[in-house]
Amino acid sequence: MKTTPQWTDADGFYEQLLDAHHGLSPEESQALNARLILLLANQIGDAKVLSECVAAAAESPRATG
Amino acid sequence: MTNKNDKNASLAPTVFTNGYEFTQGTGYKLPEFEFVPPPELAQHSNDALVRHPIVIVGGGLAGLTLACCMARLGVKAVLLDEDNTVGVKGASSRGICYTQKSLEIFHKLGIYEAIAAKGTQWSVGRTFAGDDEVYSFDLSQQGLNNLSAQPSFINIQQFYVEAFLAFRALELGHVDLRWLSRVTAFAQNDDCATLTVETPQGAYQIEADHVIDATGTHTPFHAWVGATMQTKKGDDRWCIADVRFTERPPTERHTWIEAPFNENRAVWQHKMADEVWRLDYQMAPNADPAYVSREDVVRERLQRQFGEGVEIEIVWVGPYAYRSICLDRLRVGRVFFMGDTAKVVSPFGARGGNTGVSDADNLSWKLAAVLRGQAPSALLESYNEERLQAAQENVLVTNRTARFLRGPEGMERTFRSAAISLAKQFPFARPLINTGRMAVANTYTRSGVCAASGGFSVPNVPIWWDATGRHKGTLNDLLRWCEGRLLLLVFGRIPAMDLPRLQAISMRYPVRVVQVVATTESAPPAKSAPSASIVVEHVYDPQGHLRLATQTQTGRWALVRPDAYQVGAGRGGPQWRGQLVSMVEMAMGSQT
Repeated sequence: MKTTPQWTDADGFYEQLLDAHHGLSPEESQALNARLILLLANQIGDAKVLSECVAAAAESPRATG
Repeated sequence: MTNKNDKNASLAPTVFTNGYEFTQGTGYKLPEFEFVPPPELAQHSNDALVRHPIVIVGGGLAGLTLACCMARLGVKAVLLDEDNTVGVKGASSRGICYTQKSLEIFHKLGIYEAIAAKGTQWSVGRTFAGDDEVYSFDLSQQGLNNLSAQPSFINIQQFYVEAFLAFRALELGHVDLRWLSRVTAFAQNDDCATLTVETPQGAYQIEADHVIDATGTHTPFHAWVGATMQTKKGDDRWCIADVRFTERPPTERHTWIEAPFNENRAVWQHKMADEVWRLDYQMAPNADPAYVSREDVVRERLQRQFGEGVEIEIVWVGPYAYRSICLDRLRVGRVFFMGDTAKVVSPFGARGGNTGVSDADNLSWKLAAVLRGQAPSALLESYNEERLQAAQENVLVTNRTARFLRGPEGMERTFRSAAISLAKQFPFARPLINTGRMAVANTYTRSGVCAASGGFSVPNVPIWWDATGRHKGTLNDLLRWCEGRLLLLVFGRIPAMDLPRLQAISMRYPVRVVQVVATTESAPPAKSAPSASIVVEHVYDPQGHLRLATQTQTGRWALVRPDAYQVGAGRGGPQWRGQLVSMVEMAMGSQT
């Protein structure tokens, strides 16, 4: 799993992600996220990297305050 | 008969009657076997007990396969079954789907032709969600499947296979099939096992060196020997309807993850023998088994799928729930667990009964080798290593399918919907759609009796007996000829100086040698010395399929076991003899 920046356009991606969710109900947003995760996961493909990404996401500290 | 049905494990808190007692329509008349009083019944109480080397308890798919395997190897065994028929009384069907590996084993036992004549071959599966096809597959085009003389799958009612096995075992002899004989008590010590058997004419006791528990999911042996296991309860409810139609659906396997005609729950549609279709409907989690299997309710469900105009004859209806169980060890003392006593899985992917068939094939040649003095008893421990790995893998794989299918909630539903919608759009998402990963011959990676270049099942490849191909056979013919010994395949030319060495190896060890010649190779078959002629036979592999199947494209030889699993392969060179002898000793459990 890479933890250093790989982006070619981080801000552009972030904006597109937010735009895609704009006006969606929570259920629609969840469905979009799920589709997106599966699409992205297939771009990675490698089982070990995916496993590390899932573990890292699950271990992420909860936001406080 | 003890329930041998992997699909029918009753699950608390829903109290099922055995689903197979509920029969509508015509059903089947099953063959009945006569109770013959065994000699032990005539014994006096102070006579010494009769000791049998092998006692198989349970005459279902796994038990009868083992009995038939022992009979073919010419090894005496006693089989005890509490019923007097195959199948469960009043039940038309349990498992229906037999894999290529099982069919290869049945071919070796001599009942494949009967199964092929009766059953339905299939290789195409289609999966639907809503009104759309999500994806399809053709198993005959996958992997090494097309190298075998047997097809990917044949669907046939389980009791047919059991009947073929029982009649074949009787025909072969050596095995004593004792019907209406229920084991009611068991004990074992360093010397032997002792079983108490109840029959219509009274009870008797016998002793056994090896006991094989094939009684099925409700086995008493787990408690008797203190077996430990991993259990996972399911919360999914299904209801099977085996039916005949006036209008026939296609032979393909059709699965719906979300069927519009079943309240968006899953449906399976599969054809088997006698023009009978199996329709398996997923029910609501809180469904009442008695209600969902009532004839008018079943008919209404069928009508929703097939329309009002189609005439349907209901052969059999059975509601079921499932759970998964996997023993921690498949051997406790003198007792070996196989089939549904080793593990219980949901029916997805045909990983229940087929695993039991391979359990039996695995154990049979090892028991024979040990009883004949060809191998130390340590070889038997490899049954646990190999078949436990298979059981664990099949439990893992079927649990994943069950999780995908069981009508998920929350994020699990969200991800499943995402996967289904993407699969309709893009090929990449199709591997996520899990309607059952069809069973394959499990590979052994943790076996102490297989090398790194082995541990996989070699398909039953066709071979030629002569250079013209007028006389054809298969790998199974060679395995049968080995009569429980290992089969050494030597590819290409055998130098004259190696012939006496091969002969010496096959004299000293339970190994038979076959030279494999490609018709394109100019090298003639080995001209073996007269004394060696029984040791080195030769066959033709015109298209190199045996090399492909043994994964020895560059290798010199491959060592194959009686269960068609490869021990390992090796190259030529000065070390070949040492390598080979070492591998033979490993295969027979002499190095553990």
